[in-house]
Amino acid sequence: MTIRRVAVTGIGIVSPLGNTPDEFFSGLMAGKSGIRRLRADFVDRLDTKIAAQAEFDPLQHFSKHKAASLDRVSQFALYAASRAIADARLDMSLQDKSRMGIYLGTGMGGAASLEEGYIRLYRDGAERLKPFTVLMAMSNAAASAIGLEYGFTGSNLTFSTACSSSSVSIGEAFQQVRHGYADVMLAGGAEAMLTFGTMKAWEALRALASEDPNDPGASCKPFAADRTGLVLGEGAAIVVLEDMAHAIARGANIHAELTGYGSGNDSSHITQPSPEGQAAAMSSALNCAGLNPEDIGYINAHGTATPLNDPAETAAIKLVFGEHASRIPVSSTKSMHGHLMGATAAVEFVACIKALELGAIPPTINLHKPDPKCDLDYVPNTGRTSVALKHVMSNSFAFGGTSGVLIASKFST
Amino acid sequence: MTTFDILKEIIVDKFEMDPATVTPDATFETLEIDSLDTFDIIFSAEEKFGIKVPNEQVEIKTVQDVINLIDRLRIEQRKA
Repeated sequence: MTIRRVAVTGIGIVSPLGNTPDEFFSGLMAGKSGIRRLRADFVDRLDTKIAAQAEFDPLQHFSKHKAASLDRVSQFALYAASRAIADARLDMSLQDKSRMGIYLGTGMGGAASLEEGYIRLYRDGAERLKPFTVLMAMSNAAASAIGLEYGFTGSNLTFSTACSSSSVSIGEAFQQVRHGYADVMLAGGAEAMLTFGTMKAWEALRALASEDPNDPGASCKPFAADRTGLVLGEGAAIVVLEDMAHAIARGANIHAELTGYGSGNDSSHITQPSPEGQAAAMSSALNCAGLNPEDIGYINAHGTATPLNDPAETAAIKLVFGEHASRIPVSSTKSMHGHLMGATAAVEFVACIKALELGAIPPTINLHKPDPKCDLDYVPNTGRTSVALKHVMSNSFAFGGTSGVLIASKFST
Repeated sequence: MTTFDILKEIIVDKFEMDPATVTPDATFETLEIDSLDTFDIIFSAEEKFGIKVPNEQVEIKTVQDVINLIDRLRIEQRKA
């Protein structure tokens, strides 16, 4: 079977910085933070009261009945999918739907629906749960909603590998198109887990950032000496991946080419990353793309701002890129959009696509106190424009060990 | 308000439907409400009427079928 080139022809997003790719990326370039005090009725019972919430009113996009039958995570996913398809200008009536599929990443699936059910059962002593509870809470609910909406009959899979879920979903969808199993794949991730129970569980893990006393929006400080952890976020991003010949034949606007994917298991510890494990996934993605380390012009880091991730990722980049490591701009956009868990890699992949298209590198904000163990060029606080980017890398590493690394390249015939 | 009035309110509100289409002899099929959504209506009716619909299979085709079910259970479960 011949290896096919894979085009990125459509983008849809729901993010703490806005619900269009342009709004999202211009927010990143402006160093805007989507992190703020959480608006929720349980906020007083949280120790960590900050999050990166998406502004999303489901009734603007769905009927009351449809909205009520979809968990927030599925609402995000369905909306992002519809925007991606519209952006790709895919006329669904002309497509062979047996050659189309959907691969989606999510960490917690319909967390709010399950939690709401438990509140009814355990707190309120209810006898029954809503009939839709299973269908709204199941991990594959979001992918299923997209499949039903568009009637694809190709592969429909949900990937749940914590923080790397949507790197893996995009990478595996890339393989589907690359190796000829599908012509068009929708791929990405969705997450909506800013619920009381989930936030309490994260608090208990002691991985969350403390609120910055002067500015809640500045609480996430990747690679800085005063970093204290990650900030949870919510949203979705979905891209249309398409066989290059198929895209060119229909005159599609090609945002970029997806050229590399590497995945691996960092088996050292459930939460502590190892530079060797992370480096293996980066090398594997470079190998897949047929590129040398010096071809990469920008790395969107995993950059969680936890004490352990950032120096480990820095060391991993040095292992792979050697002397070139100090010359590559590396930024963590999580400093602005937070950590969207199962959606984060997809959202960061969108940042990479826009960076390639516009020749612009988004910054790492809140980086005022350098950490000697983190000594690369993290594009501190101010983005860069007029950069000729050809190939960019997006890193995602996860609790549990699954790494995912994607490489996107500027499209040229 | 009659059982029908309350049930109609539930259906109209859930599905943003023209109230005129919800009549006692209307079938759920003509209202384009599938079996899963019918369970959802019954779930709301349980809360509204303070009844518990048993899990046994009840044949439900029309709005009147649900009215009959609710009225029967209200009497039975009040006695219990």
